[in-house]
Amino acid sequence: MTATTQAPGTSGEQRPNRREARRNEDMALAARAERWMATGLSTEPADRAGAEAGVRIAYALAGLPAPQRMLWLDSPAAGATAVAMLRTGLAGDGKVREALAAQGVRPGELALGRSVRPQVRTRPWAQARAALAEQRGAVGFARHWAATARRPWQQLVDQLATPLRTRLTEQFRAGTGEFAQAQQDALLDVIHGQHDAAWLGAFDSHPDVDGLARVAGSAGWWWAFEQVAILTERPRAVHRDNLGRLHHGDGPALSYPDGFGLHAWSGMPMPAEIAAELPTLTVERIRRESNAEMRRVMLEHFGFDRYLRESGAVATQSDTFGKLWRVELPGDEPLVMVEVVNATAEPDGSFRTYFLRVPPDMQTARQGVAWSFGLRSREYQPEQQT
Amino acid sequence: MFRQGDVLVVPIAREELPADLMPAPRDRRNRMVLALGEATGHAHVVTGERVAMLCPPDDPGRLFLLIEGYGRLVHEEHGPISLAAGAYRVVRQREYFPGAIRPVAD
Repeated sequence: MTATTQAPGTSGEQRPNRREARRNEDMALAARAERWMATGLSTEPADRAGAEAGVRIAYALAGLPAPQRMLWLDSPAAGATAVAMLRTGLAGDGKVREALAAQGVRPGELALGRSVRPQVRTRPWAQARAALAEQRGAVGFARHWAATARRPWQQLVDQLATPLRTRLTEQFRAGTGEFAQAQQDALLDVIHGQHDAAWLGAFDSHPDVDGLARVAGSAGWWWAFEQVAILTERPRAVHRDNLGRLHHGDGPALSYPDGFGLHAWSGMPMPAEIAAELPTLTVERIRRESNAEMRRVMLEHFGFDRYLRESGAVATQSDTFGKLWRVELPGDEPLVMVEVVNATAEPDGSFRTYFLRVPPDMQTARQGVAWSFGLRSREYQPEQQT
Repeated sequence: MFRQGDVLVVPIAREELPADLMPAPRDRRNRMVLALGEATGHAHVVTGERVAMLCPPDDPGRLFLLIEGYGRLVHEEHGPISLAAGAYRVVRQREYFPGAIRPVAD
């Protein structure tokens, strides 16, 4: 323990000093959370030497000899595919085969050994967590976790790593046989690299997680096996919306140097074919779309206001809170929207109109806006709106 | 109650504040941020005298305000709102789509 550590419940300290100390700690933790967020969102090329040094430290901390080989691939998709090829000895994917050949490796000629993920990632994390929880107590740990990891977790795990995993699982599941299964299995052993910044901020460079933290600061997703570590590049571009959801109407929202990418609109992943159609949508095409989620993406991209105008929607009600619009969608529940005028003028003096989709049983604009804040119509009485 | 863009601040009785609230984390400039736009960096921020932003220890996303002096809610794109002494609950706007509900990006 350091000399500055204060025992809990020490009497005689000045309250303002304590408050100031807490404020300073809050600010330091928030700065740390932001630094780790930036790590998780980095689109810089991997620092390969730094990542490999981190891998060696992570193995050493786990009491393991360093891996004999470290291989590099350009995306998580290529990484998982490489793991599957080396594991099964099957020919797999041509581009990945070339990437491996360039590093002097051919499937069937290199043994990976068992996954050491539990020793390299899971155990140090648990140790660091237990140490911190003991040091800070239950509420202190909750406070610390909220200050350092809440937003990074939301932004990096919920909005990035999870959609990416879901997409890869679906992609690999579309294949058949032993190879497709090996690709899916590879996802179970993955370590999230830069996206582990989601939780690493809570421990920063704690000695137990030092190796993991160095890899996270230098590279993308990676795999730890007894004899081989497989590392991957970071994305080249990440496009997000105001809530941090993957979002891009003009190309993939997340893209890697080998061309692997994930198209997404407001966090909703979509096939590249649908993405390609977005610029030329028509009311008729949207109506014809049978997948409700894709139709929602199309509607948002097309613009609710334009859709209402061009589809002959009817305004069913209006009050001081806005206007309620309704469009019947064949084979689907109706599209019901509240049109609201922003209370604050734009810099040019105009007032921006926006549309909010509400449940189809809403009867009034007021009820719709109230619902959007989890309130009942008569409960929603703002004294001031800006 | 007061609405600033996609954030609603609802007055509640002090007794309605959940027990065991803790001070919610602030940002690196020591600001009390009710909601942050990830793309723009714009934030709904509370300032003032004797203002506390609180949350349950197990749910740091559920925010409450306890104002013993006076408060002011500011945002880069919306007009400021004065908040009198009292307790408040913070609600972020959500939107509907079939099968799920998601928050609104201001």
